[in-house]
This record gives sequence, structure tokens and C-alpha cells, in this order.
Amino acid sequence: MKKLYLAMVIAAIMLVLSACSNEGSATESSDSSGESAAPGEGSEKVGFIFVGTKDDYGYNQAAYDGSVAVEEAFPDMEILRSENVPETAEAERVMEEMIRNGAKVIFPTSYGHLEPAMNVAERHPDVAFFHQGGLKNAENLGTYFGNIWQAAYLSGVAAGSVSESGNLGYVVSFPIPQVLLNVNAFTLGAQSVNPDATTTVAFTGSWCDPGQQASSVNSLAEQGVDVISQHQDCTKTVIETADRLDIKSVGYHADASTLAPETWVTGAIWNWGDLFVDMTTTAIEGNFKGSEYDGIYRGGLSEGVVELAPFGNQVPDDVKTLVEEEKAAIESGEFHPFAGPIKSQNGDVKIEEGVTPTTDELEAVDYFVEGVIGNISE
Amino acid sequence: MIIEVLTGAIIAGTSVLYATTGELISERAGVINLGTEGSMVSGAMAAFAATAWSGSPWIGLAFGAIAGLLISLIHAFLVIDRKANQLATGLTIMFFGLGLSAFFGRSLVDKQINGFESIDIPLLSQIPFVGRILFTHDVLTYLSYLLVPAVWFFLFRTKWGIILRGAGENEQVVYAYGKSPKLVRYLAVMAGGLLAGVGGAQLSTAFTHTWIEGMTQGRGIIAVALVIFASWLPFRAMLGAYLFGGAYALQLALQGRGVDISQFLLFMLPYVLTLVAMFIVERKQRNMMPLGLKDVFEGGGN
Amino acid sequence: MSFLQEKMRFPGSQWIVGYVLPILLFALFLLLQGVNPIATFGNMISSVFGDFYGFGEVIIMTTPFILTALATVIPARAGLVNVGGEGQLAIGALTSTIAAVFLIDGWPMWIGLPLLMIFGALGGMIWAGIAAVLKAKSGMNETITTLLLNYIAFYTLAFFVHGPLKDPTSFNWPHSPELSDSLRLPTIPGSRIHIGIVIAIVIAVGMYFLFKKTRWGFYLKIVGGNPIAAFQSGFKVNKLQFWALVMGGAIAGLAGMIEVTGIEGRLRQTTGVDYGYLGFLAAWMARNHPIGIIFTALIIGMISVSGNSMEMTAGLPASVVHILMALVLFGILAMGRKSKS
Repeated sequence: MKKLYLAMVIAAIMLVLSACSNEGSATESSDSSGESAAPGEGSEKVGFIFVGTKDDYGYNQAAYDGSVAVEEAFPDMEILRSENVPETAEAERVMEEMIRNGAKVIFPTSYGHLEPAMNVAERHPDVAFFHQGGLKNAENLGTYFGNIWQAAYLSGVAAGSVSESGNLGYVVSFPIPQVLLNVNAFTLGAQSVNPDATTTVAFTGSWCDPGQQASSVNSLAEQGVDVISQHQDCTKTVIETADRLDIKSVGYHADASTLAPETWVTGAIWNWGDLFVDMTTTAIEGNFKGSEYDGIYRGGLSEGVVELAPFGNQVPDDVKTLVEEEKAAIESGEFHPFAGPIKSQNGDVKIEEGVTPTTDELEAVDYFVEGVIGNISE
Repeated sequence: MIIEVLTGAIIAGTSVLYATTGELISERAGVINLGTEGSMVSGAMAAFAATAWSGSPWIGLAFGAIAGLLISLIHAFLVIDRKANQLATGLTIMFFGLGLSAFFGRSLVDKQINGFESIDIPLLSQIPFVGRILFTHDVLTYLSYLLVPAVWFFLFRTKWGIILRGAGENEQVVYAYGKSPKLVRYLAVMAGGLLAGVGGAQLSTAFTHTWIEGMTQGRGIIAVALVIFASWLPFRAMLGAYLFGGAYALQLALQGRGVDISQFLLFMLPYVLTLVAMFIVERKQRNMMPLGLKDVFEGGGN
Repeated sequence: MSFLQEKMRFPGSQWIVGYVLPILLFALFLLLQGVNPIATFGNMISSVFGDFYGFGEVIIMTTPFILTALATVIPARAGLVNVGGEGQLAIGALTSTIAAVFLIDGWPMWIGLPLLMIFGALGGMIWAGIAAVLKAKSGMNETITTLLLNYIAFYTLAFFVHGPLKDPTSFNWPHSPELSDSLRLPTIPGSRIHIGIVIAIVIAVGMYFLFKKTRWGFYLKIVGGNPIAAFQSGFKVNKLQFWALVMGGAIAGLAGMIEVTGIEGRLRQTTGVDYGYLGFLAAWMARNHPIGIIFTALIIGMISVSGNSMEMTAGLPASVVHILMALVLFGILAMGRKSKS
């Protein structure tokens, strides 16, 4: 009977404790009640959350470098960072923790952090949120991204030019819009110089599994592919494995030309630093609302948010010239890679002739264009 | 396509093969070690680090093996000396190895190494069909071809093999040879950890030339499953490891041909195949499980 | 049998090995990294106990760990090792989401939530049932099958959120539509704390009585203690083990339902990842005692929550949480197994 009693007492304690937490658990920032300070105004701390680890030669590294730029631009600012934050409600806790530590500007840097950030943003109207990669915003939450597909298109032009077989490969993670958009842009770029070019896609089912990546490169090589691009969070393995097989590679996220100078073609890379610094400045000066960052912001080649990586040693000069010309045309707005007509794999016209898609349409893509060999699960 | 899949099976299967063989030795002595994952990932990190610093993958290999061994030593101490639950301890070791290697491997991620390169063996690699599949790999893959028969010979044809199996089946055998079962188990677990470390080293310094945290992605856990699939027999463990690797390769080969199957179903393939293969061989193996393990599996209640 | 009495009997040295040594080791580790351990521990403690918000977060984290630990405890009573809480939770989350989105969308709470609980539990039962059938029919070891099924469950869930369950308004991003408000677990106003913790504790206490007071619990104990002797004395060992594993799965499935309806509000590819493994560890830390797991789940919950503050304020990488957790577990494992039948 004693044990029974104990068990009941314990249960009771737990219940009381959880009920107690009710009273004090108001998570609204108390210091801002009454005054409606502009989101992020006067913040002395900036928080960054990353979905992976900073040093993966890829997506998170690029965002991390952006946070370092903020650190350098504001020497007195304290930077709070949290890595490996899953794209679940756990992200909410991490953001709350940052706010409790005094951060009023927060960068949730992965797409899946959007919904948790929305919830936190609602509770903390005095905190400014800059979310990476979404299509939704709130009063104090803006979402930004780069038109990396512009650079992916250009690297496709380069890849199509240096490929002898016209068989290109793409190592990707999951069939999500960002991935499909890049594969499509890359393929259209290659087809602009070689109408018969095809892109074979290998899904790895992971954002970073070097073993799967190496196997994918081997498999693509067996299938006669001679230039490989990728959409993975860590990019080193694909580039090095391709190099050992004497296959050319196109990078993503970060400039990795030093890894394989001879087989490196070029790459689509991020340059978040200037943007992050500008967004932080805007917020701490109290100008978040009404700025270009309070809604859905997209920067491309012309804004310097995305860039084309340096060319590899073996890329001929005429290819470089061609790519530079295309780049100038995209920057000036005179050419849009996704201007219709664009057909999907099975021949359906997805973008009509004479139509230029909006950001929303582009970033909700759910198909591969003609010339891509691969299957999207439905 | 057959050549492609079979070659891919060996490429993707070798690291798993080392870990499986190691786990087999450990289980033969009556200790199941889910911490193989922890040994493997630590081995991958240590091997990569040592290769990066020394420039020699062989030194890296040595460090990888030692790292795997040290991690497994914790397991040996806890389950043999402290009689802790084997499965719970193994799982804890897995978390420990993942955390430790992630922590100490942080500065290694962007390093480039001169790891083990693929070497086509002269003449042998010219043999039609088989040559391409078997003899166009790295040194560690070739060593694994020798390892499996060696382990088989050791287990079933040497005195120490009898003693080791005795530790897992019937301690009287071990006493009869004047040895301590405890010592034998320690050695077996350490050998298992060492081979798991070598498997990790193969993954980081030969297969991918990369270190990234958590890069084993459950391969160590698969190794434990494959040992049971293999009914604790070395050659069947080899088959299991290649079956697993082959499923990876097949999945990619199918994708590359635009086959209209959801990639998520394809990703399941290695695990489903392992399960199905276990199902097929299961009936015979019940009486082949080392008795010592039965305590772990069936007496695991309290 | 009592977990608490068991602890009382431990001499001081055991306590040092189990709790003090791991913390000292970790402090040493922090020192070697040039981090002040006292300040770090202080931060961790204040992030958990400093205010009600922090403690509330611990409660939220603890809830699924209690349930996945129970998913290990029940089969363990019958002598089985269920390492599949991970997959059973995922499938439970999946089936309850499918039901919430396609079958009973917008139904009132009083009927909707109980139905979802049933669907979640069913999902977990099916997943554990696969392993249980394989065990009963062809003697396949449940440790290995449940482990392999975890991977298959992960990709099954991924298949659904990328395909049939994909939210049509999500710009093709892989997650399910949001559950209607009536199908969300009630929360304490102004916080994220939901009634899941009550459900978890009630089930844990219920299990305690089931094990202690019912014939079924008694049978389980006999079977778990010595299956062969039990078989020879005419117990239906296979049947008892089958239902123990399936019931464990049901509770893990329920954990998935609670995670979706209580916290996430929708299903994502990574919903509940690692919760099954951490619950397994909580179960063994408590030596499979149904009340003990409430505390061990709480310890794991506290480490998980305080780990983030360690990262933010001491600048340590996320992996440190794993190291700390493993050290604490090593300590507890090293305290040795009680010399029970």
C-alpha cells in the first residue's frame, strides 16, 4: 500500500507543478507591454538558428557566414546562435529562449522554421523576425530569400557547354520546390546551349549523407553523366568524388572551387552578409515596418544576394564569355530563364508562351521540366 | 545495370561489412553491442583527423581502429563488469560516440585528405564481368575480402575460436582451457569495436573522403541486424552487407532510369530487403543463437 | 520492486558513481574547452527552474518520453526488448493525422480527440504488430525487427507528407495541412503546455496498477521472469508477449498523436525524431518501473531543454548535449543492475 500511496503523491505533485506553471507562463515580453516599440528596435542581441551545423560547406555555412558578417558590422552586438534546430515545434522553444536572453532580432534560417517563428512572433510583437525562404509573413516577421535559380540557370549554361555527352546529373535531397526549381533552371540553362541536354536526378533522401552522395555520384557516372551538380546541405563529397572519377562538377551554396580546381565548373552560391547587416540595421533603428524587409523579400544576382562562383581552370574562355553575357541579360531584366513556354516532363505546358511567372508561382513548383530524368513522388 | 548494381553493392557495403564482422565476433562471445554505431562514427572521425594531420591514410586507419576499440571498451566495462543491460548500454554508447565525434570533429569538416584511392588490380580487374565488380576498389575493400575467411577460420578452426564461442555458449569450455570468460568477452568486444572503427575509417577515408557529424547514418545499427540475419556466420554476414549495399545501388540505378516508383519507397528498400531476408533464413537459426545472447534477448525484462 | 525503495538501499558510493561522477566528468570536459562549468551549470539550471516558462518546456519535452518509455516497459515486463518506439510513434502520428485531415476534420473536440487517440494508438499497434507477428509466426527477434521498422516508418511518414498528405496551401512544401482547432489538445492558456502530460502520467500510474494488481500483470511477470518455465507450466507465452508488444506500440502511437495534436498542429517529416530512443533510455534508467520512468523522462527532458541554453550562452556546439546525456546514463548504468530474479 505504501507504494500505491507514493505513486499517487507523485502524480499529484506533477499535476500541481504543471498547473502552477500556468500562472507564470505568460510568454509575452513584459518589458514592452504598454509601449508599442517597433520590432527589433534598439536590440543589443541578435539570434540565429540553423537547421544543421555551421561547417557543412553548404546551406548552413552560408547562413552562418551571414551571421559572422553581422557580428563584424556591429562589434557591440552579442550574437546568439543555435545549431541543429529541428524544423518542428522545438524551434519555438529555442527562439523563446533567445528572446528571454534579450534578443529582439531573430533569424530563423530554414524554411521549416517558418511556422514555429510565426507562433513566436505573435507572442512577441516587439521582436523582429527575418525568416529564410518562406512565402508568408506577419506584422513583425518578414521572409527573405535569394533567387538562386538565376545562378543555377547560369551554371546550367556552363555545364551544358562543357559537357561532351550532354548527359548531366543532379544529386538532390527531397522533392521540395527549392530543389525542383534549381534542377529545372539548371536544365533549361544547359538546353539553351545544347537542346538535347538531359539531367538525370538522384535523390538521396537526406540533406547530408556522404555515403549516399558518393554512391549517387558513382551511379550517375555509370549512367554516362559527365557533369554533376547538386542540391545538398553539405557539398564537399559530391565535388571530390566526381573529381576522382574525372567528372566535372557544379557547386551549390558555397564556393568550393579549391576542392577540385580542374574539374570544378562553377556554382550557384549565397552571399547573405550584406543583406543580413542591412536587415539588422533596419530593425534596430526601428524601421522594420515599411521597409522592404517586412514582407516577402527576394534578392537575386543584381542585388548581390546570389552569385555565380568563380570558374574552374578547365572552363574555356568562350564559355565564360557566354555565361557572363547571359548573366548581364538576367541582371538587366531583359531575359527571364522561366519565361514561357515551359513544358513539364510529360509535355504539359506549365508556363504559357509570353508569360513570366511570379515569385509565388515559381517557388511552388511541383514538376520537372522536359529533359529531366527522374521521378517526383505523388 | 547488373554490373552497376553489384559494383555499387561492394562500394556501399564494405564499411557495413567491417562493422558486421566485428559485431559478429562480439556476439559470438555473448555480447551484443548496439554501440557499434558509436564505434563506427568515432572511427570515421579519428581516421579522418589522423589522415588529415599525418597525410597518411594508414596512420588514419590505425587511429580509427583505436578509437572504435576505446569506445567499445566502455561497453565492455559496463556490461561485463557492471552487468548493465546490454541493449540500453549500447544505445547510450551510440549517443556518446555521435556526440563526441561531432564535438571533436568540428574543425575537420572542410579539410581535404589524401585518403585511400581506388586501385584496379592488374590482370584480375581485366576478367570480364567479375573483374570490374570485385577488383576496382580501394585497399580496405580488398582487405575485407581477406578478413571474412580469416574470421571464419579463426572462429571455427582455431583453439581461440572455440574459447571465444565458448564464452558465448558454455563457459565450461572456457574454464576447461584455463581461461577467464570475462577476459575473452572483453577481447571479443574490443575486437568488435576495432573492426567497427575500421569500417568507419573506410567510410571516411576511402569511400567518401569526408568527415561530417553523424555520417554513419545508422550503418552501425544495420550491422547489428545483419549479424542476426547472418545467423552468426561470417560468410553470410558478407552476403548480408552486400545485399544491403546492393539495395542502395539498385535504388539509385532505378532512379537514374526514371522508373516510376516513389523515391521514398526506394529509400526503404535496403531495410525492407534486410527484413525479408531475415524472414527467409529465420527458421533455421533459432538454435544457432549463442546461448549467452539468449539471456540478453529473452531475459531482457528486468 | 519499488523503484524508490530500490534507490534508498543504494549505499553512498553508488550515488557518487551514478550522479556525481558524470557531472564532475562533464565539468572537467567543459574546463578543458575553456568554459566555466559553474556558470554553465548555473545557466542550465536557471533555464529549467528559473521561471515557469522553462519548467513548462521541460514538461512538454517530458510527455513523449514518458509514453515512449512505457512502450519499452510493457514489452520488457514480458521479456521483450522494444526498440521501436521511434517508428511506432511516427506511425501513430501519421495515422492520427490522416484521420484528422481526411476523416473527422472539424469534428467537435469531445468526440474528435478520443477518436484521434484511438487512431494514433491503432497506428502504433499496427507497427508494433508487424514485429509481434514476425516474432510469433517465425521467431524473428523483436529487437532487430523493431529497429529496422524505425527506418521504414521514417520513410513511410516522408512518403505521406511529400505525397497524399501534403498541404495544398503550403506551396508544395512537405507537411500536412494544419489540424482544425477542435482537434488540438487543450492547453493551459498563454502557454504551450497541453494536457498530454496528464494523459501520460495517468497511463503510467495505470500501468503500475495493472502490473501490480491484475492477473494479466502477474502473468506478464511470470513470462518475463522465465519464459521457458512459464511455457512449461502452461502459460500462453506467445500470446502474452504478442499483446505486450502490441500494447507498447499503442502507447507509442498515442505519443505520436499527442505530439501532433498537442504541440505541432500538423505532421512534418521530422515529427518526434529521437523521442523513441530517448524514451527507451528513460525506461532502462528506471529499470522498467512504470512510476520510475516519470522521473527519468523528466531528467532527459531537462537535459534536452537546458542543452539549448548551454549552446547559446557558452557557445558550445549542439553535440555537447549528447555527451552530457550519455555521461549521466553511463553513471546510472554503472550503478549496476539490481540482483533481481
